[in-house]
Amino acid sequence: MSAHLSEHPSEWTLRRLHAGELQADEATRARTHAASCEQCSAVLRSAEEAQRQFEAGLPFERFEQGVKQAEERAQRQERTRTGGSQRWMGPLVALAATVLVVVVARPLLETNPLPGVRAKGGAVAELRIGGGEGSQRMARTDVLEPLAPGERVRLGYTPDARSYVLALSVDAAGEVTPLYPEAGQSLPVEPGTGTHWLPDSIEFIGSGAERVVVLLSDAPVTVEDATAAARQAFEEGRRDLAQMPLLNMDGDQTHWMLLKP
Amino acid sequence: MGTSQPVLRVIQGGPPEDRRAFLRELYTKYGGSVLGRCRYLLKDAAKAEDAMHDVFARALTHSDGFRAEASPLTWLMKIATHHCLNQIRSERAGWRSWFEREEAARPEGHGGQQSMETRDLVRRLLSKVDVETQQAVIHYHVDGMTLEEVAAALGRSVPTVRKRLETFAELGGEELRVR
Repeated sequence: MSAHLSEHPSEWTLRRLHAGELQADEATRARTHAASCEQCSAVLRSAEEAQRQFEAGLPFERFEQGVKQAEERAQRQERTRTGGSQRWMGPLVALAATVLVVVVARPLLETNPLPGVRAKGGAVAELRIGGGEGSQRMARTDVLEPLAPGERVRLGYTPDARSYVLALSVDAAGEVTPLYPEAGQSLPVEPGTGTHWLPDSIEFIGSGAERVVVLLSDAPVTVEDATAAARQAFEEGRRDLAQMPLLNMDGDQTHWMLLKP
Repeated sequence: MGTSQPVLRVIQGGPPEDRRAFLRELYTKYGGSVLGRCRYLLKDAAKAEDAMHDVFARALTHSDGFRAEASPLTWLMKIATHHCLNQIRSERAGWRSWFEREEAARPEGHGGQQSMETRDLVRRLLSKVDVETQQAVIHYHVDGMTLEEVAAALGRSVPTVRKRLETFAELGGEELRVR
């Protein structure tokens, strides 16, 4: 069965038909087509057979029990995550409903973190992911980093000779969210050598990709200007986060692409 | 006297029977598809069943949002795919043990022998690409989504999805060509 022949509904459409998800007119069209098309009716039969075998092999009561245990497991993991001293923790503060949640906390970080990859310049920024089921990890800048449910992000920087720091994120719709600070202008870097961690952990909720940007600069930058530059970059990338260029601003920039759970 | 309209309101939670009915609906509509995805990726019957339970537990936890989805099947399959790929990645030996694992499950299948072979080929090549490409490839070649459907499911543009699929196709030849 090809999903890609224009005369057939896609295989996915047929599977949605089987699940009873299509609107009435679309369902009628697909059903009418499948009635006279052996290829498409085979897809429907196959979906029916898969469901039949599933129900025969796993009675509802066992399924229900398994889901209940999975919920309990998830709750235990959540309690461990929020209650353990070795975990990231803190009350959630909504930044933007259904888009982003910032966790005000100072998580315990593993020692000797690997440096992040910088886009240019001498300063370095890092993005660490943690708080989920797995161990903490450093996000790479050259691949899309998938986030598991509950995982949070922490940003760090080594300022080198730079004096100010600012962080923001852009979602797949081009919505820009200032992360640090939320308003005003970029903040002076912390004194001292080594990595400095921004005070908040961030949990991205919703779905799709999110691009996170850290800008280290010599002069302060207003959040407003940085937000405008991010929007402009998003447009220059043809509204595709993966194609988005560096922000048109002076300083060192580090970009990461995250895939929200 | 005018006619009165019923007042509708959203009630959080609900009695256990509602929840049970909701779970039964998930079971009868989507159970086979989600378990098939977990078996296809994890290649281990017990792990697949656990993963499937995790996916439906998430659906229950996010039931308000889930019910509002235009395509709950897309939501579930996306979550199941993501969950299983993460699980493979987080296992100590990762993809290596995945290759060595006994094939406890037959390939997830719809649409005849040729499609089954394509899905088997896809599975063998998955470890060679990044996670987002893996997801796109699975939705396209295994779920039978169109480019537009994959793009919508992953929140990416059609050209980006096409590019990723074409990169993947270079690993497997004509059989994986993007149409």
